[in-house]
Amino acid sequence: MASLLQPDRVLYLVRGEKKIRSALSQLYFCRYCSELRSLECVSHEVDSHYCPSCLENMPSAEAKLKKNRCANCFDCPCCMHTLSTRATNIPAPLPDDPTKTTMKKAYYLACGFCRWTSRDVGMADKSVASGGWQEPENPHTQRINKLIEYYQQLAQREKLERDRKKLARRRPFMPQAFSQHTIHVVEKYGLGTRLQRHRSGAPITSLYGLSLKEGEDQKEITIEPAQALDEVEPLPEDYYTRPVNLPEVTTLRQRLLQPDFQPAGASQLHPKHKHLLIKRSLRCRKCEHNLSKPEFNPTSIKFKIQLVAVSYIPEVRIMSIPNLRHMKESQVLLTLTNPVEHVTHVTLIACEEGDSDDVNSTAKVMVPSKELVLAGKDAAAEYDELAEPQDFQDDPDVVAFRKSNKMGFFIKVVPQREEGDVTVAFRMRHDFRNLAAPIRPSEEGEAPTEAVWLTHHVELSLGPLAP
Amino acid sequence: MLRSRAKFAAGAVVCVESEIRGDVTIGARTVVHPKARIIAEAGPIVIGEGNLIEEQALIINSYPENIMPDSEDVEPKTMTIGINNVFEVGCVSQALKIGDNNVIESKADVGRNVILTSGCILGACCQLNTCEVIPENTVIYGSGCMRRIQTERPQPQTLQLDFLMKILPNYHHLKKTVKSSSTPARS
Repeated sequence: MASLLQPDRVLYLVRGEKKIRSALSQLYFCRYCSELRSLECVSHEVDSHYCPSCLENMPSAEAKLKKNRCANCFDCPCCMHTLSTRATNIPAPLPDDPTKTTMKKAYYLACGFCRWTSRDVGMADKSVASGGWQEPENPHTQRINKLIEYYQQLAQREKLERDRKKLARRRPFMPQAFSQHTIHVVEKYGLGTRLQRHRSGAPITSLYGLSLKEGEDQKEITIEPAQALDEVEPLPEDYYTRPVNLPEVTTLRQRLLQPDFQPAGASQLHPKHKHLLIKRSLRCRKCEHNLSKPEFNPTSIKFKIQLVAVSYIPEVRIMSIPNLRHMKESQVLLTLTNPVEHVTHVTLIACEEGDSDDVNSTAKVMVPSKELVLAGKDAAAEYDELAEPQDFQDDPDVVAFRKSNKMGFFIKVVPQREEGDVTVAFRMRHDFRNLAAPIRPSEEGEAPTEAVWLTHHVELSLGPLAP
Repeated sequence: MLRSRAKFAAGAVVCVESEIRGDVTIGARTVVHPKARIIAEAGPIVIGEGNLIEEQALIINSYPENIMPDSEDVEPKTMTIGINNVFEVGCVSQALKIGDNNVIESKADVGRNVILTSGCILGACCQLNTCEVIPENTVIYGSGCMRRIQTERPQPQTLQLDFLMKILPNYHHLKKTVKSSSTPARS
């Protein structure tokens, strides 16, 4: 059954800052710390920006300038699909001879999904295929820019003061400005990390009470405080009686995707430039090594560094489950796959009574006591007809079958509860040869890498009890 | 098995592999692809000119579900389809009245009680089984069958029709016109 192969049936425990249980396919393995890492215990860094439709790479500085939007591609304001440029032939008078008309190409934007066109909002057709489209100007841009400049200057000054105070007093606690985790430039009102923004001293909303500090050598930027109006425009008289023209009303999502204007009518929905996506790299927080680093080219899906858990840790998968009955022993068939090229020895240990990691299990499990040996992964095995058959002495009670680097084995499960799903947990101990560690020249001339024994806590969800 | 009393106008291109059952009238310049099915069970179907009916499309004038065919005197209702419509691959249409310049996209489903006026576009995989008249130039799209009005109707697929009328006879046998009769005026 394909549902037994679903990734969330077998969960591995990650002991990081929080205990996280996750499928092996979503975990990373730091081979320098020899530990599993999940997405929550690594630090994410932005590698590069690219546009998802034209796959054009953009340097970070340019992306910041363009507010993380692509210059060439547009999104449909109605359904957020990518807009495509279409051409029509229109008769246009020749510049020399106004009486004759010739066919000229006119371009307009159209959405293939909801059939929105740029003519719907009144945007005239352009004569160039790309680059002719203008976004409407936000009337408040100047004021917003001025405010941003003023606050950035304030933030700069506050940072200098804080640094001066810090050097003078040398307090034991470090302000988060100097923490190891902020790789970005620390800017209070710029694109700093989330930590920085929480620590902002001055409230952003109120303008009263703020004054520029003394001793300026830079140019002073002054802003006028916002004027509060006493009178508000009254609602139109037929506001409650006019029937609503539903196709003309914009949905909340369409409205909020354009925070500058937030148009209430569909005839004012202008297309926006497409948002850029990022490629991110992951870094282990303890040893600061990269766990995942993608290639720079947006068209490539490969990785320069890819330390994923499935290529280092043997994977347990459920193969078949018999009918599970309350307090009756049943045999469940599991498979173990060896991802590395050398022979791996795996020992399974049942969880003890007072095990603190074992919170979810609802059944007792008896695992095979002997050590299981897995053959190495041999990429050329299927082409090699003269391969020697693997010679492992297998106990037929424990081992069901063996196939190159995979083997099936039985565990016995006794469900303890009358209702609910059956979950079992056990610990898996296997040897891991660290190929990343520097090979020290040893006296024998050979350099066998030392095997480190790693233990993982594995949880299986075997589904409901049979009725 | 209904006797085929199909009447195709002179310029219609109807492939032999298509299944046409019952009293079906097809206008000139209409192209019916192979494996398209037009079944007139509970009444005749009249299809206008310039329509494009693609593969595996199903246009069926069937009995409503709660009426058995032979029990009562059910008056046969005519299904009318206008001009320049496009029935894309795999769509199902049971609507009794379809106007002009409509596009029913792939795997869309139009129920019996819907009346499509002109210029409507029913998006791919959208099911329309309400009991209403769809206003002109409506676009129905998305998994939630969102609607919007477009400003211009979809263009008739003249280029595609011309191309198909030239190419299809090279690869398929065509059904012979049983009796050439002009398409009756749409009611």
